[in-house]
Amino acid sequence: MTLPLEGIRVLDLTQVYAGPTCTRILSDLGADVIKLEGLKRMDITRNFVMPENTGKDDYWNRSGYFLLRNGGKKSITLDFNDPEAVELVKRLVPHADIVAESFTPRVMAKFGLDYESLQGIKPDIIMVSLSGYGQTGPWRDFTAYGMGLEPASGISSVTGYRNGEPLRTGISFTDPYSGVVGAGAVLAALHCRRRTGKGQYIDLSEHESAIPVTGYAIMEHVLTGRMPERIGNRSEWYAPQGCYRCKGDDNWLVITIRDDAEWEAFCHATGHPEWEDGRFGDVLGRFRYHDELDGLITSWTREQDQIEAMHLLQKAGVIAAAVLNPKQVLLDPHLGERGAFDVIEQPDVGKRPVSRQLGAKFSAFVPNSARPAPKLGEHNREVLQGLLGLSDEDLARLEEQKVIGDTPEGAVPLDVMRMFVQWPTTTFLQMGTIAGLDADYREQLGITGDEK
Amino acid sequence: MPDSALEGIRVIDLSQGIAGAYCTKLLADLGAEVIKIEPPEGDYARRLGPFPNDVPNHDKGGLFLHLNTNKKSVTLDLESQSGRVVLRKLLANADVLVESESPGVMASRELGYEQLKGEFPGLVYCSVTPFGQTGPYAGFEGNSLAAMALSGLMYITGDPDKEPLCTGGEPAEYFGALHAWVAILAALEHRAANGGGQHIDVSMLEALGCADEYNTTMYAYLGAIRKRFYSRHAIPTYPSEIFPCRDGNIVVIGGATGFPLMMAILIEQPEMENNPLFQNLWLRFMQWEKFEEVLRPYLTEHDWEDLLTRAQELRIPFAAVLDAKTLLENEHLRERGFFAEVEHPELGKVPVAAYPFKMSETPLRVGRSPLLGEHTHDVLGEVGSEAEDQLVLRERGVT
Repeated sequence: MTLPLEGIRVLDLTQVYAGPTCTRILSDLGADVIKLEGLKRMDITRNFVMPENTGKDDYWNRSGYFLLRNGGKKSITLDFNDPEAVELVKRLVPHADIVAESFTPRVMAKFGLDYESLQGIKPDIIMVSLSGYGQTGPWRDFTAYGMGLEPASGISSVTGYRNGEPLRTGISFTDPYSGVVGAGAVLAALHCRRRTGKGQYIDLSEHESAIPVTGYAIMEHVLTGRMPERIGNRSEWYAPQGCYRCKGDDNWLVITIRDDAEWEAFCHATGHPEWEDGRFGDVLGRFRYHDELDGLITSWTREQDQIEAMHLLQKAGVIAAAVLNPKQVLLDPHLGERGAFDVIEQPDVGKRPVSRQLGAKFSAFVPNSARPAPKLGEHNREVLQGLLGLSDEDLARLEEQKVIGDTPEGAVPLDVMRMFVQWPTTTFLQMGTIAGLDADYREQLGITGDEK
Repeated sequence: MPDSALEGIRVIDLSQGIAGAYCTKLLADLGAEVIKIEPPEGDYARRLGPFPNDVPNHDKGGLFLHLNTNKKSVTLDLESQSGRVVLRKLLANADVLVESESPGVMASRELGYEQLKGEFPGLVYCSVTPFGQTGPYAGFEGNSLAAMALSGLMYITGDPDKEPLCTGGEPAEYFGALHAWVAILAALEHRAANGGGQHIDVSMLEALGCADEYNTTMYAYLGAIRKRFYSRHAIPTYPSEIFPCRDGNIVVIGGATGFPLMMAILIEQPEMENNPLFQNLWLRFMQWEKFEEVLRPYLTEHDWEDLLTRAQELRIPFAAVLDAKTLLENEHLRERGFFAEVEHPELGKVPVAAYPFKMSETPLRVGRSPLLGEHTHDVLGEVGSEAEDQLVLRERGVT
């Protein structure tokens, strides 16, 4: 089976979340992605989410967060602060079709790796820069995290409880969003290069890329002069809509009623035909008495199992969905049958379910998503010798000079870092940032037997 | 003027609503010719507003404009045999078809992928639905809220003592749109390299699920079930959230280098550098209420632009909390030309959000959305639908 990006090579200078999402998608579609890290500047997500410490010292090769966005890539270590390393990066450029980077705008130019310089080395190179606020404008040099870009994009202004403060999503929303945008940008540029023979430069502002999600609110302000309000889980268009408590401690069901026919179906399915007519008989009434309706709906959902209620209402043609917690997501029969999670065997970790990074299934090929993440510097020899023809002596010398290697060198000593990366899950439980802690989670997920 | 990146690509868009429309808008702005096929009453997104003076009008919807720039609108009734005959004529010159019907509906109209692939072997046929074409929930009704719920992202958003909270702006629709757009471009690359079209099955739920940062990973690696906690990260990066300040809100983020010194300087209490809450991130994470007693009074005495500017000077990644109005007025976005004004025959001059990135060599099209059926005559004429055919179709209310 041939994948669409077979024969395409990506030099991946990105780190953390947005950039690695972009290049992971390209990798799954068949591109050969070479990820560059520095021994003094490894991808910090190599520190996030470890399995139990089973005595292995190389914790940086066992992070779940890193695996999620870097599975299938090759890892080489070249530190940009070393002039010889920068020269080696430049020697790799002729072998690449795409260079992806996510530094603040001044960095690539500082190392002589800006688009003009790369174009001088490889005229048809495609370069994509994913930065917080883009390459131009007064905020261009701002340092940016995804947690800040979601509120800056306007999305938080319409996220929050009714009459409450603006809130972020519980993830770094703009990172995965702009990462997917980056993958599409590269594909569009490749399409163009095939036809015209020309490469190009893509300036992707992670901030701007997510602003269109706020499109309705922006248009409301433009066309009516109103400021959109935070409406919790309600809808601009339909009533009732909300998130309703079910049987159990923290189990919930979302429901949307789009028209009178669905309202009738809902009332019959729940055994409450008396709600059908009168004040609630049309959408205007259901909007006006939404608070009262929420109370009535909760009086029904409170006695229901969230999953059974979802199926009951869906059978009646009503939009209803259980609010799944992360464990339920992993065990969900629909996502399971769809193959939303690959089970990946990560060396020194064992098998783990890992979310795919492209929510599309193709009839002509299957993306190559089920591969482990590379160890730090795992492909130094393969890439530097295979592509650049460095000798064994060259490699030994670079290793001695700590230009290349397989062990990070941070400001924090490694034994301190090893303690730091172990998360205090029992404290999380006491604080309430986690709802539960299953000692037998591997049995529950069916991934036992090969723990290293 | 050089060609656009997708010059020569023709897309037949049968989708309605948000996800399919934003996907084909991304293709249209890149230069593809997108022919939007609407039922005689129009895409239902035309009825979602917002409208000037709140008066509904199928040509004046703001969301529809946002989602359908640079497309052509053709009205065609696919419920009728003659409508389907015309569609097949259009498909003869098309590269891509996008549809968003419930699974099985297209097949019932003899327009399923299996029914079309023999006649159109090069066609890239993309279906965008809430839960995909297969699996136990394939027949479920859905929307962005339902996808948020089933993705796990809603469970971890909001306050611990309140109901889980949906992100505003219908995010699953937009994520679905992006994944469909990427998948279509990948399928076009595949066709160029290997020949042949294919069917693409995009699930909004799975597209949104791909955005899960580390929630399922926390269970798969630690057996820990993450829960919403003021939308705060479980990773000890506290604080990285929105706080009120004197004239609005500000995102306070310490980042990798903000603590202890730079944050202490920022809040003009340099002695706090030695405070354990500033020194130890785990302690700060666990005793967050104590930390906020230090932080909040300072923020409420300062304006967001002042806080943002000074924090950034100290290389602390604070961010603004913008809304519809402040986005439109924002100087940074203005200098980058993010909002472009388009002239719409019914709405007049309207600012629309620019493309999500800039390209150095190929232009990105800036334009308006089509009026309902604006291009029916021209497009049907091009495929040789004779004038009398069109008249018959019009009499039957098809066009």
